[in-house]
Amino acid sequence: MLKVENLSVTYSGDGQKTHAVREVSFSLEQGQSMGIIGESGSGKTTLGLAIMGILSSTAKVTGTIEYNKINLRELSARQLDMYRWKHIAMVFQNGLDILNPLMTVNEQIKECIIRHLKIKNHDADSRVKELLEQVGLDASVADNLPHQLSGGMRQRVLIAMALACDPKVLIVDEPTSSLDAISKAEIIELLSRLQHQKRFAMIVISHDFSVITRLASKMCVMYRGCILEEGLTRDILENPLHPYTRGLINSSPSLNPYQDLWGIPRAGEATTDEGCSFFPRCSQRSQICKNQKPKLKYASLERKVACNQGGIITLLEAWGINKTYSFKGNKICACKDCHMSIRAGEIIALIGQSGSGKTTLASILSGYLEPESGNIEFLGQTIKQHEFTSKPKGIQMVFQDPFSSINDQFTVMQAVKEPLDILKLYNTDERIARVKQALIDVELASDDTFLNRRCFTLSGGQRQRVAIARSLVLEPRLLIADEISSMLDPSTQANILRLLKGLQNTLGFAMIYITHDLDIARKIADKLYIMHKGEIVETGPAWKVFDNPESEYTRKLMSKAGLA
Amino acid sequence: MRYQKALKYLVTFFCIITLNFFLPRIMPGDPFYFLSSEQGEVTVTYSQEEIDRFKAYYGLDKPVLAQYGSYLKGIIKGDLGYSIYFGSDVRTIIKNRIPWSVSLVLLSVIIGGGAGTLLGCLSAWQRGKGSDKVLYGIMVVISEIPAFLIGIFFLFYLAARQGIFPLSGGAKPFADYASWADAVLDIVYHGFLPTLTLSAVQMGGFYLIARNSMITVMSKDYIITAKAKGLSTGRILFRHALSNAALPIVTQAFYSLGQAVGGTLLVENVFKYPGLGSLMRQAVMVRDYPLIQGIFLTVTFFVVIMNAVVDILYKKLDPRIT
Ligand SMILES: Nc1ncnc2c1ncn2[C@@H]1O[C@H](COP(=O)(O)OP(=O)(O)OP(=O)(O)O)[C@@H](O)[C@H]1O
Ligand code: SF4
Ligand SMILES: [Mg+2]
Repeated sequence: MLKVENLSVTYSGDGQKTHAVREVSFSLEQGQSMGIIGESGSGKTTLGLAIMGILSSTAKVTGTIEYNKINLRELSARQLDMYRWKHIAMVFQNGLDILNPLMTVNEQIKECIIRHLKIKNHDADSRVKELLEQVGLDASVADNLPHQLSGGMRQRVLIAMALACDPKVLIVDEPTSSLDAISKAEIIELLSRLQHQKRFAMIVISHDFSVITRLASKMCVMYRGCILEEGLTRDILENPLHPYTRGLINSSPSLNPYQDLWGIPRAGEATTDEGCSFFPRCSQRSQICKNQKPKLKYASLERKVACNQGGIITLLEAWGINKTYSFKGNKICACKDCHMSIRAGEIIALIGQSGSGKTTLASILSGYLEPESGNIEFLGQTIKQHEFTSKPKGIQMVFQDPFSSINDQFTVMQAVKEPLDILKLYNTDERIARVKQALIDVELASDDTFLNRRCFTLSGGQRQRVAIARSLVLEPRLLIADEISSMLDPSTQANILRLLKGLQNTLGFAMIYITHDLDIARKIADKLYIMHKGEIVETGPAWKVFDNPESEYTRKLMSKAGLA
Repeated sequence: MRYQKALKYLVTFFCIITLNFFLPRIMPGDPFYFLSSEQGEVTVTYSQEEIDRFKAYYGLDKPVLAQYGSYLKGIIKGDLGYSIYFGSDVRTIIKNRIPWSVSLVLLSVIIGGGAGTLLGCLSAWQRGKGSDKVLYGIMVVISEIPAFLIGIFFLFYLAARQGIFPLSGGAKPFADYASWADAVLDIVYHGFLPTLTLSAVQMGGFYLIARNSMITVMSKDYIITAKAKGLSTGRILFRHALSNAALPIVTQAFYSLGQAVGGTLLVENVFKYPGLGSLMRQAVMVRDYPLIQGIFLTVTFFVVIMNAVVDILYKKLDPRIT
């Protein structure tokens, strides 16, 4: 019914050009609803205004907007007026000035009815009353002036006004911003009810996932004017493919009631027009991304993603892992047909009771331990022993007891620099520089006094930081942290956790965080793997597992932890 | 709040009256001296005895404060004094002239204001396009030229050169009209050029204000809303935009009413139009103080009252101001 193809909008003014919308395409059928989400300034409103054909003259528009096979962009202003509001209407972003301050609600709604439906004045009056009641307002509101309305009432008036001529397509811009929680819920409820009744196609523009999930069955993710991901709302939430989408989800308070919120890091460098628009902020970017603009391509049946690497890359994939320890004739099955898949920049919490095989699995994944059977691939290559732990941009592991692997007679400098020395990476100066940077990253001192301290003189928290710094000098893509905070007091633990999460957010590595502490898992994890007696019994997005655990064991675990 | 405003205007009036009283007394020169020494039209000469009598009549022999008191009393009663030169009540003289001037002012504000506003709206709608630029240029020039210069131009071009319009006067002298329609026609005929002149000046001012405030309003969100609703250009422009832009325009209208009076004083002289302006000139020529004071008082009252009307209208026009 509505088909947008290669739509671009460029604002020019003050000598500079803003590409507010770039080559956006999508289509919408009757009764369907589509959400558009994106950070502020990503071009959502501009897109809506472009469809309505009401952009200012400083905006240059290209591409086609087809409504029932008619290209609206080829119509004259006069012809277009006949489509506006009657066929395609918009609920504008709520603002004080969005309604004419000097005209009553009645007049402002009535004028569209009279213009488009050619109804007599008197009948139009009663239609206005009907509309107001439909959106849950008292008919007497008709005689009010806009400044006499509250924000929530104004939002309803805007909806009533948009529905005045029974449009076939409704564009709704930020319907709930600036509303309190109750009004917000009511407006969402109202819109969803009206859409079911009237079966109009709906485009919901919002930066709030809770609005989109309630109102739209499919969604587009916008960034700097480009659609970066498109698909079914439910699927995208469960499994975002684009790093930007994941960043948005991770920043959403409604989707992350427990997790700490971490916004997408700001761009460190300017975006080039040729390359991927997300390049400066992407944690998995590669050199081609700088010069090659990714196209929005199908990634699966109902999902499109615009990324040169096909979306968030899978770092490590393991399946069919088995490992049995023999101990005085007893066979202990530590891993039984285990699997794991971890994507770049993801935090997986591997949860299980003590003795459930977590460390064994982690050691196998990193290549320290050989499994009896099973396959492990890191970036598509099969892992052979220490291959990836002993090179930069590979896998690093931090242990529960950090100094099990570090000689505690070492100075801090030696301890952190050792991996570089062993691997003979960089020259001496650069090694020292990297050590210092790593220490700064983990919020430790980097002066000579500290660098020359011997490790055994450090406190538990400091040692753990040194251990993390030691693994960071190799810029790992995957960091496996095994119960690193269990020996620390709560305050130090909290500091280390925030530190790790912050580093993860800025440096963009993936992390497997092994713990038996559900509270901590809930604070930091994107995905959960629940392990019980050597088996993975449940996996899924953290919010989903915590809200609705599927396996018997998980439920038991949660009720014991007092979480369910 | 209301009382404060009322008080403000009362004080203003009082100041004006006081100023009006003291100014001629501070200024050098003596009306009697002037009256008696002027040659030409003024043939009357006054003897010392007559001067004393006049002084007594005007109370000029009393102390200043007493003079001031009786002056105030007179004004409250509506008595503006007696014009020696015209040999008549100042009030009557002014009353006879007021209709001429007021109709000039009103007409020019209505015509000029209407045309200026309309053009301003269209210009704002076409903002940045050729028609807007041309119109803008012309209007800036018109609004910058003093009214009497425009008047002189019209006088030379349309009246003297082409002879389409009369050179001077408010009506044909000593005419005996066949019907009242003839009389109206004649008055319109005579009033046309002065009105045109004043209208042109008004139009410039109104155009600039209207264009400016329309441009501000056109970028408001509710105009986007109105466009999205597919309303006709006329409705968007004149119902949605103009009603919001009206505030500064109406304010301008009433301020201009005041200003226009100043303009008329000069323009009337160009056309020898029998309004307050010509009267003023005559009064100044012969130093007829009571008359000058009377005219000054009338004009300033008019301006102040217009300002008061603006204050009141402001509230009526914008319901958000409480
Ligand atoms: N009239 C305009 N002239 C010039 N640039 C504009 C104009 N309107 C928007 N822009 C620019 O276009 C880009 C997209 O703006 P847009 O309003 O579409 O963002 P948005 O996604 O709706 O943001 P928000 O969530 O804050 O409403 C921004 O960079 C903005 O600065
Ligand atoms: S991997 Fe490259 S193309 Fe994909 S989002 Fe990151 S920068 Fe863009
Ligand atoms: Mg917006």
